[in-house]
Amino acid sequence: MSTSNISRRNFLRTTGISGAALCLGFMFSSSTEDADVINTGAADPSEIELNAWIKIDASGKVTLVDHRAEMGQGSYQSVPQILAEELEVNLKDVNIIFAQGNKEKYGNQITGGSSTIRGSYKNLLKLGATARVMLTAAAAAKWKVPVTECYAEAGHIIHRPSSKRFHYGELVNDAAKLEAPKDIVLKPKSAYKLIRQPLHRQDTPLKTNGVAGFGLDKKLPGMLYATVERNPRLRGKVKSYDDSAALKVPGVKKVFKVQMGVFKTFREGVAIVADSTWAAMQGKKALKVDWDDTGFDHVNTADIYISLEEKLKVEEGLILKKQGDPETAISIAAKKLDIIYQTPYQSHSAMEPVNCVAHYQGDKVEIWGPIQAPEWVQEYIAGQLGWAKENVIVNMTFLGGGFGRKAFMDYPHEATMISKEMGAPVQVVWTREDDATQGPYRPGFSYRCQGAIENGNITALKFRMAGQNNDHWRDGPSNKANRSTSEGFLKPYYDSIKNISFAEVVFETPIPTMWWRSVYASTNGFAYESFLDEMAHAAGKDPLDLRRQYLTDQRSQKLIDKMEEVSGWKNKRNNEGYGTAITECFSSTVGQVVKVSKNADGRLKIDHVWAVMDCGWYVNPDIVKAQVEGAILMGLGAATIHEITFKDGLVEQRNFYDYKMPRITDMPPIDVFIMENDEDAGGVGEPGLPAFAPALTNAIFDLTGKRIRKLPFDLTKV
Amino acid sequence: MISLNVNQKNYRVDADPNMPLLWVIRDIIGLTGTKYGCGVAQCGACTVHLNDEAVRSCVTKVSRAEGQKIVTIEGLSKENDHPAQIAWNEENVPQCGYCHSGQIMSAAVLLRENPNPTDEDIDAAMAGNICRCGTYLRIRKAIHLAAELQRKGSASK
Amino acid sequence: MKTSIRFKTKFRTFMIIGIMSSVVATMAFTLNKESEEARVPPAPIVTKDSTASVKAFKQVYTVLMSARCMNCHPSGDIPLQGEDSHLHTMQPRRGVDGKGVYAMKCSNCHQPANTPGLHTPPGNPNWHLPPADMKMVFQGRTPRQLAKQLVDPNQNGHKDMKKLIEHADDGLVKAGWNPGEGRKMPPMSHAAFKKAWITWLTTGAYAPAK
Repeated sequence: MSTSNISRRNFLRTTGISGAALCLGFMFSSSTEDADVINTGAADPSEIELNAWIKIDASGKVTLVDHRAEMGQGSYQSVPQILAEELEVNLKDVNIIFAQGNKEKYGNQITGGSSTIRGSYKNLLKLGATARVMLTAAAAAKWKVPVTECYAEAGHIIHRPSSKRFHYGELVNDAAKLEAPKDIVLKPKSAYKLIRQPLHRQDTPLKTNGVAGFGLDKKLPGMLYATVERNPRLRGKVKSYDDSAALKVPGVKKVFKVQMGVFKTFREGVAIVADSTWAAMQGKKALKVDWDDTGFDHVNTADIYISLEEKLKVEEGLILKKQGDPETAISIAAKKLDIIYQTPYQSHSAMEPVNCVAHYQGDKVEIWGPIQAPEWVQEYIAGQLGWAKENVIVNMTFLGGGFGRKAFMDYPHEATMISKEMGAPVQVVWTREDDATQGPYRPGFSYRCQGAIENGNITALKFRMAGQNNDHWRDGPSNKANRSTSEGFLKPYYDSIKNISFAEVVFETPIPTMWWRSVYASTNGFAYESFLDEMAHAAGKDPLDLRRQYLTDQRSQKLIDKMEEVSGWKNKRNNEGYGTAITECFSSTVGQVVKVSKNADGRLKIDHVWAVMDCGWYVNPDIVKAQVEGAILMGLGAATIHEITFKDGLVEQRNFYDYKMPRITDMPPIDVFIMENDEDAGGVGEPGLPAFAPALTNAIFDLTGKRIRKLPFDLTKV
Repeated sequence: MISLNVNQKNYRVDADPNMPLLWVIRDIIGLTGTKYGCGVAQCGACTVHLNDEAVRSCVTKVSRAEGQKIVTIEGLSKENDHPAQIAWNEENVPQCGYCHSGQIMSAAVLLRENPNPTDEDIDAAMAGNICRCGTYLRIRKAIHLAAELQRKGSASK
Repeated sequence: MKTSIRFKTKFRTFMIIGIMSSVVATMAFTLNKESEEARVPPAPIVTKDSTASVKAFKQVYTVLMSARCMNCHPSGDIPLQGEDSHLHTMQPRRGVDGKGVYAMKCSNCHQPANTPGLHTPPGNPNWHLPPADMKMVFQGRTPRQLAKQLVDPNQNGHKDMKKLIEHADDGLVKAGWNPGEGRKMPPMSHAAFKKAWITWLTTGAYAPAK
């Protein structure tokens, strides 16, 4: 946390190649997201540039490290947009590079939980402002004028009375010698010039001309390509394999057994290494593996849901939260509902299939890939190899989608082991079929929702969730309720409804499960918001009015007003169905209204979606809107088009022909609105998803009287 | 050896004639803008122009492309300034960006054959390209804008 | 008044079809034959046998209505896919020439030959749907409707009997018997189909009653 001056001699020595520079970073005491800015020369003078989070060189070019993954959600734009605001530079002068995995330098890097902005924005603002203050001080000293007469603008410090100016590059030499000041005063929101502007993303040009480098695009001299035939039942072992045909495929170099760590378990496969991706794929087709699939259940999807429902009939589960006495309130209520909802297993199916490049070099390994959690990969592989973390270098590329799948350490570990065997850099390519059949998956759930109504008012809600807990893969406690059982449910309900409980009914299968965009809110939201809609109808209330009645806090009230206003909720015409849902996810609340009607041929169509996002402080409204639009489409796919099913332990879907994706013809018109307020930043990448499915099925009920309680359902058959 | 003309440059590649054009372009020639998404012509991420048509390179054997004119996203324009590329930037279309090489290559054929596409024409042209991030509304907007830019461009010539 | 005129017209057309249905096909062949007499050898000899003809067509019908044939003879402008003949996932459109539109031309995915592997595009050098001016819809047609349609020169691309017989050996028709990995074959061999097809045509191309 301490800061100190750096000697000019040291500075020049370490930055001699690229010239003088101002380098600032953070010192994280642990994994805290709130840290003090340091002049990184203080940390280790020999590694100034390596330690720097922000660097301004003599030409005035600003280089910023993006410590988080860019997987479409926009960190590559929003992180520099924040920094440039306080630094007072033009965005075109900001160059952004991806961090390597390093928890000590960058704090939490796991790009999940929609945490990049909400977890980093205060630090980034402080970082930009600190640099600006140091540059201003350096200019004032050069001019021998009071600092108060100087201001920063567009990469320059200007002396107001004389209009003299220095560009930042001319000041970095002096500024670098200063101690990083504390107690930096940040701009008021009203003074923002860049933040809250719908600026163009800096990665867009790279993504329209083929230049953006994704994991699969990484090439190294002498790099080989590998595919792996992994156990199709996910937990089985290699009994034996016949590689005679595989080795005859031209280009195939070697075939061998490989293990891949998944937290504390290992999965087995047989690697085929070749001189091209195609040869490796052909070799994989020619390989014959005899698997030992004993010792674990071979599950069937139908059986899973039968078990879940049976359990929900008899088990109270592990209580996560309980207020009042919902059992008694329900037992004495004049009107009560008791309903089961069901949500499917899902695959992430990012457009870029899982892949990773590893270069094992005896005493170190360097990794490149579409990686959401570089510091986890570093720690895990170092642990597996028994090495110091420094010997595992993890580089993030652009990610062709992640959605949670690429926050796993399995595929970089597998690539490392294959590179080690080959003594050469290797790119391990998962085929689309591997990506679809190997998981991990969003777990499927069944929910039992009970509620009581007295005199048109809700007096009790009792929710039970049955399904796999992702945390159990990470050795989470199995005697405590899943902490996410209530995710998606809005907290203000606790103030207005006296009796509420949430419980998890524990259920295990051998299927590996993992976070999937918006995680538990993506399934909880469907159950809880469908149930509230059913409660509204049972209580004889308008569904949006019911929310207004129980979400009494001002923030919720404003959100509901906005939803009503933009959707024309009150102006519903005959032959139109309107449905709504409001969910909370990663500190943001999203309310959606879906309008449906029937085509002339009797087919249901989604006429419009209105989404109102309350994410508090935000950076780029266009990125916020894009994320909500995309989340809605992903929600549409998961609600109406695709699901992962199991038969005798095998995943039944293999590619986009049987795990179908929404296409341009499925996209409904969407309008996104962002609430303006002074609240803290919430998440953006995920929170737009959970409300869509219940808003849609609630709209379908409104139009047709048909209640949909099981996802996915076929829109063409409603 | 197979002779290929990619982005107006001649290559002679030593490849199995059955190898899909996708892998020749990516692994042998080293142009990585063309993406692998599904391998079975479901998603369109691998779309390139073969004699001006938007073929799916993942199922197109390199032998079919021998001696033919191939254009990849890298060769669509010199300065990232094809009307579709300009419009994609203007409308902030990409999120993760992985599918957009293919999306743009498909859109370019639509724009060449139909200078004023309707929403229905856009659906007809673009339903073969999957975007998991859900940028379809923006793709639609960008194609309308690109058509406008193209019309203005040809009017000013 | 208008209503009744329209009704009369419709009624009259219907009557003619009803009366002439069994000989329409033969007439068509005759007309075509006359116009092309100088260039082509004589058409196959027709020996009328309504029982044998209808029987043969019932066999033909099972082939034409199988997924391998019907999937490219849809009732709309989007082809069908799979054994259940669902709408082609990417919704390619017919286009004027039947070869697709814009970035969705058949040959963009369908190669000159079948692509190896399951769920890959089947191939043929001439992959296409019937063109827009001759849609030759199979989907939803009853045996009677289909039989009449097949020999109606205004609906079959002005094919005379000789050309219809030749069409059984068309490369794309035969592609139905080379469907690519994992796809079901039509319900009988191509030889058996061809035999039934020729029998139907040469016994008078009678349409079944329904």
